[in-house]
Amino acid sequence: MRIAELGIVDYLNALDFQKKTVEDRIAGRTEDTLILCEHRPVVTLGRTSGNKDLLDPAFFQKKGVKVLRTSRGGLITYHSPGQLMAYPVFLLPENSRDVSLFIDLIEKSVVRALRRMGVDARRSGRRGVWVSGKKIAFTGVAFRRWVSYHGVCVNVNNDISAFGKINPCGEPDIEVTSVRAELGRPFDMREARALAAEAFETVFSACYGAKAVC
Amino acid sequence: MKRSDTRKIHLPVISGREGDIIITRWIVREGDSVRMGDDLVEVSTDKATFDVPSPAEGRIVSIRKREGEAARTGDIIAEII
Repeated sequence: MRIAELGIVDYLNALDFQKKTVEDRIAGRTEDTLILCEHRPVVTLGRTSGNKDLLDPAFFQKKGVKVLRTSRGGLITYHSPGQLMAYPVFLLPENSRDVSLFIDLIEKSVVRALRRMGVDARRSGRRGVWVSGKKIAFTGVAFRRWVSYHGVCVNVNNDISAFGKINPCGEPDIEVTSVRAELGRPFDMREARALAAEAFETVFSACYGAKAVC
Repeated sequence: MKRSDTRKIHLPVISGREGDIIITRWIVREGDSVRMGDDLVEVSTDKATFDVPSPAEGRIVSIRKREGEAARTGDIIAEII
């Protein structure tokens, strides 16, 4: 698995990079690639999301935060620096072509990484990753020719107050948390990226690799 | 053209669990010519979108599911000739 670290980038620039990587992966010009980055502040809507989950458009307008409609699954979320974006551009093996399983593996990877950061993260009956009933990571993926893009955002050090201005993932009743909020201190983003890379490699190779167990 | 020349395009298996799948966006229109593997339609589950590829080369003669409509694995979504 190749790791591509983009730093802090605009959402659309990262999306362009993902789409190019998808085409390269389809054509066999590159291997499975995990793209890691952070975004400048932006609100994104999934393919089936309506504007009703944007509770306070004036708040974002005043701050110059764009609202973008995207091609991923899922509903609305908010991105800003300090939130770790993990975009797996993976070709799913022919014997494991299951969208639900793929999202399970993303969530398991995030749980593994967060636990190594000292956060008691879990999966629940609902999509995403949770800490004591609060949501810390949000998934939304897309596939072209069974190559994935988009992925997951994990609140690490980002300001989570703006989540109060949206219904995250279309769920009005959820609370949101971050690694910083859980630990009471910021977490080193370089280490967070390294832990995410290790977790994706470990979890996905266990399922999709030569010695697959799922 | 004989009707038997048409081939039904079924919604493929994309997931074992996500329930209803929504037809979100047709990429082709009736009358379009496509090659095998060209993207035909984007469908959505709860947390994923998926571009369904054409299983054959030919011309799309009918689209059987509208945008916004729910579909199940195996449903006929289009016909190609």
